[in-house]
Amino acid sequence: MMILALFERPMTLHFYSLLWLLMPLCVVVAIVYKTLRTEHLSRLPGEIARLVAYMAAGLGILALGLWMLHEYWPFS
Amino acid sequence: MARRKTDNPIFPAIVLVLAWIVPGAGHVYIGRAARGLIIFVTVTATFWAGIAMGGIMTVDSRTERWWFAADLCTGVNGLVSWYRSKRVYAEVDRELKSGPYAEQFYEDAPNAVGEESRRYYLSSAHRAEVVSDLRQRYVDKILSDKGYRLAAPAETVARAYSGVAGLLNALCIFDAVVLVLMGRGAEPGSTTPQRRKDDREGSDA
Repeated sequence: MMILALFERPMTLHFYSLLWLLMPLCVVVAIVYKTLRTEHLSRLPGEIARLVAYMAAGLGILALGLWMLHEYWPFS
Repeated sequence: MARRKTDNPIFPAIVLVLAWIVPGAGHVYIGRAARGLIIFVTVTATFWAGIAMGGIMTVDSRTERWWFAADLCTGVNGLVSWYRSKRVYAEVDRELKSGPYAEQFYEDAPNAVGEESRRYYLSSAHRAEVVSDLRQRYVDKILSDKGYRLAAPAETVARAYSGVAGLLNALCIFDAVVLVLMGRGAEPGSTTPQRRKDDREGSDA
């Protein structure tokens, strides 16, 4: 019953925690995608780590680009 | 394309149903047990992490239909969550019909329609829409009073987690079915008699 209660009511999350909760989602996507795609399971951890790094770098670059647009956009 | 020719053929329909009901079961059934186990743990944990963040109403068949469709792709996980949210909605409907909120609702409904009709001409469809909006506001209020109402920002994260889990399982279902249709069941590089036979048949074709 205690475990079920954990899944009944919503948690209180703060807006700034949203971005950090994106990373576990990226890891999950990388795990499932690489589990399906990789030929040899022994290489799985390395391939997951590489894909997560690519995703984090891509999201970081995107965030930086959007932040720069927001801060330095000349026509606003 | 090489097809698996064995005494016990694997039917794609069975793989599809198994992979939908229990995430990863399709891969286990076609002989990729390790991958199936990884998929099961990852998809199930992600889905229930979403439910833990958003509560029962994360899986909402009434107001969030697209997310609901994605949630149902997690098979038994989605079905259990749907059943729980349906029970909450049944309770809410009961309260709105004859509970403490009913009297207030039946007082407010003609007022809301009257107020709108003073400003615009209302057809019967528009009247129904006004009452339906008011009803939804009451449903939200009841859910809020009971502590079940899901609001931003938890709503965004919770629905993203459970929905992405469903979409990932849809990808796994597709992968398992395509592997069977292509006749590539067991793990690549494995040395089981079945795999050697498959490889031989694959090179012959």
